[in-house]
Formats: sequence, C-alpha cells, structure tokens
Amino acid sequence: MSDAGSQRLSRSWSREVAAAVLRRSGARIGLVWVTLLVVVATFAPFIANTHPLYMVVEGRASSPALANLQALDWVWLAGFVLGVLALLLKGKVWLRLAGWLAGVGIAAAVAYSSVSPPLLTVYEQYREMERDGRIETIVRAPIPYSAKDYLRDYGDTGMEPPVAGNERHHWFGTEENGADVASRMIHAARIALGIGFIATGIALLIGTLIGGLMGYFSGVIDIIGMRLVEIFEAIPTLFLLLTFVAFFGRSIYMMMVIIGITSWSGYARYVRAEFLKLREQDFVQAAVACGLPLPSILFRHMLPNGMAPLLVAASFGVASAILAEATLSFLGLGLVDDPSWGQLLNQAVQSSSFNWWLAVFPGGAIFCTVFAYNLIGEALRDAVDPHTQRRMDS
Amino acid sequence: MKLLEVDGLITELAGGEGWLRAVDNVSFSVAPGETFCLVGESGSGKSVTSLSIMGLLPPGRFRHPGGAIRLYDGEQSVDLLKADSAALTALRGERMAMIFQEPMTSLNPVLTIGDQLDEVLRIHQPGMDINERAERVLMALHEVQIPRPTERVNDFPHRLSGGQRQRVMIAMALICEPALLIADEPTTALDVTVQAEILKLIRELQASRGMGVLFITHDFGVVAQIADRVGVMRRGELVEQGAASAVLRQPQHVYTRSLIAALPEHLERGGRSAAEPELAASEAEAVPLLSIRDLTVHFPIHRGVMRRVVDHVRAVDGVSLDVRPGEVVALVGESGCGKSTLGRALLRLQDVTAGTVTLEGRDITALSRRALQPLRRRMQVVFQDPGSSLNPRLPILGTLLEPMRVHGIGADDSERRQRAEQLLERVEMPADSLWRYPHEFSGGQRQRLAIARALVLEPRFILCDEITSALDVSVQAGILRLLRRLVDDDRLGMLFITHNMGVVEFLSDRMAVMRQGRIVEEGLTKQVLEAPAEEYTRTLLAAVPRMDGALLSS
Repeated sequence: MSDAGSQRLSRSWSREVAAAVLRRSGARIGLVWVTLLVVVATFAPFIANTHPLYMVVEGRASSPALANLQALDWVWLAGFVLGVLALLLKGKVWLRLAGWLAGVGIAAAVAYSSVSPPLLTVYEQYREMERDGRIETIVRAPIPYSAKDYLRDYGDTGMEPPVAGNERHHWFGTEENGADVASRMIHAARIALGIGFIATGIALLIGTLIGGLMGYFSGVIDIIGMRLVEIFEAIPTLFLLLTFVAFFGRSIYMMMVIIGITSWSGYARYVRAEFLKLREQDFVQAAVACGLPLPSILFRHMLPNGMAPLLVAASFGVASAILAEATLSFLGLGLVDDPSWGQLLNQAVQSSSFNWWLAVFPGGAIFCTVFAYNLIGEALRDAVDPHTQRRMDS
Repeated sequence: MKLLEVDGLITELAGGEGWLRAVDNVSFSVAPGETFCLVGESGSGKSVTSLSIMGLLPPGRFRHPGGAIRLYDGEQSVDLLKADSAALTALRGERMAMIFQEPMTSLNPVLTIGDQLDEVLRIHQPGMDINERAERVLMALHEVQIPRPTERVNDFPHRLSGGQRQRVMIAMALICEPALLIADEPTTALDVTVQAEILKLIRELQASRGMGVLFITHDFGVVAQIADRVGVMRRGELVEQGAASAVLRQPQHVYTRSLIAALPEHLERGGRSAAEPELAASEAEAVPLLSIRDLTVHFPIHRGVMRRVVDHVRAVDGVSLDVRPGEVVALVGESGCGKSTLGRALLRLQDVTAGTVTLEGRDITALSRRALQPLRRRMQVVFQDPGSSLNPRLPILGTLLEPMRVHGIGADDSERRQRAEQLLERVEMPADSLWRYPHEFSGGQRQRLAIARALVLEPRFILCDEITSALDVSVQAGILRLLRRLVDDDRLGMLFITHNMGVVEFLSDRMAVMRQGRIVEEGLTKQVLEAPAEEYTRTLLAAVPRMDGALLSS
C-alpha cells in the first residue's frame, strides 16, 4: 500500500514461486545443467561435426556445416531463439508458451518443406582434401567428428579408449563402429530432452483434462475416470513399448507418445484431488454464484490454483521418461542409427571386455540429467509448499 | 502469595530478516486459585506469552533478551527461562499444564482416550502401578463430566464431539494435578452452549483444587464470565491490567476502551430504531425480495456394495423464510444446524430436495443452469473464510472485472475499471488495491474486497455466511457498519448467517433461530432477544457470554 495510485501490478504468485525456486542452490545447479543441455542440444551441429564450419578450398569459401544442416537442426535453432525471446518478453505465461509452440510449429513446417541438404554425406572428403593439401583455411568444430561418422575408411577403427594415442583424438573414446563417443553424446542430448518434455507434455495434457473433469463433476464421471486411471496404471509401460517396437519398428516419436499415454494417470490423480479440494473453496463457489461460465471457472479459477503439485510431479516425470528411453536403448530396442545415451551404455557390456568409457560418460550424463530434474522438482515442491516456504524465508 | 510471576518478559521470534519482538516487557502474576485473563486481538502476543511460559516455542527460532518467568512452589521458585529441558519436562504436566484451541486435532486419533491419559501418568508418576493408573484415569474422566466414563475410556477420539474432546484435553492437563493451568482460547472453536459448559467446568475444577489459571482469549464476554484479573495486550505490550470488573467497567487505556466500544452490542445503530415503526407499517405491502417455502435439503446416506440409499441426513428440513428489500434477516444457530446448507441451497450452489425459492417473484428452484445465469447477478454471496474468499492467482482487478464482463455491465474495460474503483471506494479500500494480489491484504481487507466482488453485479439480495467470525472485533465493527450502510443506502435484502448474538443485535431487523434443519423461532430481533418464546432460544441466549450481564451479577 506504500505507493498509492500506482497502476503497476504487484508480483504475482507464479513469480514469487519462481523467485523462491531460484533462491535454492539445488534448483540453480539443476537449472544450470538443463540449460547447458539445451544449449548443447541446439548447437550440436556446431559443436560436434565432421563438416568444417568454414573452409576455403581453391579460393572458394564455403560452410559445409551450414549447408548440411538438417530440417530438424533448423527447428531446434528456431525453437531456441523463440524460447529466448519468449523468456525475455513480458506477458502471461500461458500466452508466451502458446506463442512459442505456434512459432516452433511454423518453423517446423517451413524447415521440412524448404530445407534440402545433400542426401549423401561423404565425411571422408574433408580429410582427403586436407591430406591432398587443397584446403587453404579451415575452421573445424571443437569435436571434428559427426555422430554418424564411423571412420569406415580407416582399418584400425573399432572400440578405442579415450585419447588412445593415434593421430585422431577422441576425448571420450570411440564406440563399436568407430564413431566418436563425445559427438554421439552431444547429439543424443536432443533425444534425452525431447523425450522428457514431449512425453511429459502429452501425459500432463491428458492427465489434467481427465483429472479436472473427474474432480469438478465427481459422481459418475469420477467413478468412470478412476476406473480408466486404474486400467492405465495396470499397463506396464516397458512391455507396451517392447510390443510396439516389435510390431511397428523403432521410432522415437512413437516412444514419446507411448510413454506419454501410459504415464498420465498419476497427473490425473493429482489434478482430481486438487479439484475436489478447490471446488469447495469459497472463491470457486463465489465464481459459480457470479454466474461465470464453466470454462472460466475450470481454467481461470481452479486450474492455476491446482497447478503446483502437478509441476512438481512433472519434473520427476521428465526424469523417468528419460530413464525409460535409456532402458529401452540399453536393451537394444532403441533407435538403430541415431545416437542415444542408453545405446552407448549397451555397448559398454556387449563385447567381451568391459569398456569403461562407454559406461562412465553416458551413464554420468543420464545420472546428471535425472538428478538435475529431481533437484528442480524438489525445489518446486518446497517453493509451493507454504510450510517449507516460511522456513526458507527466515 | 504467588504461583506464577512473569517479570519483564521479552520474547523475540526469528522473522524475515533479524528478530521480531513478539512480547515486549510484559509483567504480571497469577496467584493460586485465581484466573488471570490475557485478552487481545490476533497478533498481540498473547499466545506467544503462554508458549514462552510453557517453553513450547519452536527450538532455535526464539530468544529471550530479558525478563524472567518464576514458577513458585511454596517459597521456592524456578526461573523457567533458565531451566534446562529435562527440568522443564518434569515441570510440564506436573506443575503446569496447557490446553489448546483446536479440540479436533489435539488428540491422537489412533490411540484411545484412555491410553492417552494413561501415558501422561506413566511419564509423570512412574511409581503408580497399572491398576492405580486405570482408577486415576476413570476418576479424571469422571471429574470432567464425561458421561459413562467406564465405557468411554476405550473410545477413540473420533467418537467424541468437539466439546467432549475438549473435556478429555482438560482431563489430560489436570490428571497430574498441576498448580497452574494455561488455557489458550480453549472455547473459541466450540458452540456457545458447549462453551458455557466448558467454562463452568473450568471454574468448578479451579475452585475445588485451588489452581491458578492463565486464560487466553479474544472474547470480552468470556473475560467477564471467568476472569478475576485481566491484562490487555496490544502488539506485544501489556497496555493495561487490573481487576476484571474495574478494567471492563472503567477501562483506563485508550486501546481497551476502543476494543470494548467495538463489541457489536455496543455499536451505535445510527437512527435505525426510529425507522422501525415505519418499516413495520410498510411491511404489509412490501413484496418479499426472496421468499423460501418449505425448503428441504436431504443428503442420502449410501451403504453396502450396491450403494443403496439407506437413510437421509435432513440438513434442511422444511424451512420457510422471507427477506424484504432494505432488511437484514439474521439466521442464528449452532454448528451443524443446517444454516450454511440453507444458504448454499437458496443460491442454487446446492441441489434442493423439495420446496421453492422465489427471487423477486420468480421461482428459481427448477431453473436450468442457463436460465439461472442472468438471475445470478440479482443475488450474491460473501463467505466466511477470508483466506479463501478470493482467487489467490488473480489480481483484484481480474476478480472484479470478470463478472461484469460476463453479465455485460459497462461498455468496455476502462468503464468497468472505473466502476470497480468506485466500488472500492464504497467498501473503503484504496483504489490501487486493484493492482494487487489477495495475499497482500489482511483478513478484514479481504472480506471488504469479497463484499466489493458481490456488489459489482448490483445484486438485490446478498447472503453473508459468517463473514466476520474470523475477524478481530475492531475489524468486525468496521465491516458491520459498512454492511448496514450498504443495506440502508441501496435497500438490499440481506440474509446474515451467524452464531454471534452481538452481531445479530447490531445488524439485523429480524432474526430466525435454526436447530436441526428447522426454524424454531422467528421474529423481530428486538422481540426475540428480549422475550424469546422457545426453550431452545432461551438456552442459546443464556449461554452467550455477555459482558454486561456477567458484570451486573458479580
């Protein structure tokens, strides 16, 4: 009440929670790691790529790395830029989120219709050119190996421990086909992030919708909904995934969808409980008494107040989706050619000897990522819980 | 001779940054057989004082920069602030005991009451054997007048009513015969008739044992009933203390005077009494704004696998009531009598089993959701709990503008905002409240904002469900005056649900007394209060602790 007459909105609850989360060092560490992952995943083609970033050959300057960017790479870059914009811009959180999603959608449509990189990539050409001395200037990526650059033209490829001592430097060693482990891990960050967010997003959407309807209407709808929840809880995600992989082949998108549609039941339970509680709250009753339309009551008055436990559960959900994908890949049912952390782990134990570099680095990455999400979830839970919040304040 | 002496007590609690002084240089004493009342509004430090005495403040989060609390045993005394935790544990229960406000949560639900009483004895009287203890437990239950103690001793807490639980709590506190009993608002959560019984019980036990009682309350009526001496606290300071009759009759301190003047029964009813005959004359032709006929709300009780309906809870059982424009009707009753269900039913927040509700001549009981929608703006509601009456995620602007938008009031948002600003002025809130979130307001301010939200739709009828019962008296006084002015200015009809007779007397023109889903008595407030016709109304009125009545008799 100090500055009377000011027309500025004071800090909203969501901002308070964000500030409270950021005050916790655990959350900061988690956020730093996830941000790092996002940056690495977005700029993967510029960090680890056999195509040089810039080179001058016989007087002609070119950027093979840019020329060989896939449509997906462009979508990631567009998503990153739009994401930074959405964070910097002011406005309602859900509006910015919707804007970001729409922007990414448009970018994807444009990229897939217009970008056509060369279909055949010959990684060896640059090394040949360099051997022949035709290259005048060259700027390489920090890790000059693509994820799928299997170095087939060398006789001595195969699994190789880190920094083994030949003319090629592999900081994290190579995997069974001779590809650089560091490069594969960097490119695999996309799958880890994508599967976590998309699978959890699908689960959140379904869970909120069904849980919200159950909680608000209760009665028969609640009874039917709860039976549906129980049915879905009885389906083991991993076995369903295995079945689908066996029938329909391997696709990362299918995995996301399956993990998503089998893990919404927990969110539905949370939302239902919150809505049952909120329905009796005075401000919801007052909203009904004011004759407000049902969508407004559900989405403007109830949902924002019931979001808190959902976000906490979601951050743990992201971690478990990443683990599910790693498990599948470890079992050898993941993606065939595309890099993933679980697949590298699988190779660690495949041959007769234990290849420690294939276990330590990808395993460490999985551990750090899951741990980071758990730290964030923990901090969120503390921040939205008024009891612990008070303890932190003092 | 003294039992407890609090000498210059300072208690500081860990706050946002640094230490907050919750109790500042408080001195008083309690003699054996005497009741000392600490009275004050919320946040005045009265509970912190009692917790300091018991040593029950959260460890590591408080400090005492000065003062002493001496507990006397004959000529010897112990300074409780300097005693170590072992010594304190021994003193608690044996020499001093405490009872708390909320009887619903202060007993362990998974142990029988007998076990819980027995445990206290096991700790403090290790010499007693099991038979002696069982006998002592029964005696304790008998003392607090629990009916059939031999059977109840094996009951779990959920089988007992609120009043009975509070009796068990008292039995537990007194089982080791402490010399000092600290009671922190022990009757605030109870109905008035139960409160009267518990107060009587405490007085009797005190007289028979010569205990000293430190009684903490916010209710001057209770003070007048029970206190020998009284201390008034404000913001951690003891502003006035003395014999109860002296302090209540001739308060010396400005604050005490303002508190007593703010009691609803002392509020001036600006010109209402003159208007009453006129109202009575116009009554005959006045069409009721809202009229309820034989309204019934039953909740089915389901049993068994097939969820067959075996019985009904008759929450509201054939109630008829009229509310005319410009009139406040008070609906009075104890908890569980169905008064809140009735309120919810006439707003159609609750399905009606039978009967009709007529608003301005239109029967609204059978209207569909859509047909009801335009009528919603004619009747509005303000609820009890200031903590949940406003959406915590929306700024006040959003809360006030949305209903106007839905009902097409005002041409555009800027016009609606102007209207919202005018309304805030009417409920005496600053205009910049629009830009703030509910958590930035105090309880009283939030209730004012909830009233503004109700008024935004220009209703003809407002239902107020215990809207001041969670507020301090001085805040309550402001809101009651505001409500009366709104009703008189706009000739609104208002149904005011309450259990506070003082509020009824100040605010209402007519009153209805409700019990077990039925209205037992109805009439002009003055008549009912002065000459109640029904037995139940008489019991209810007699149970209300009133300052004046108690003082006159003493």
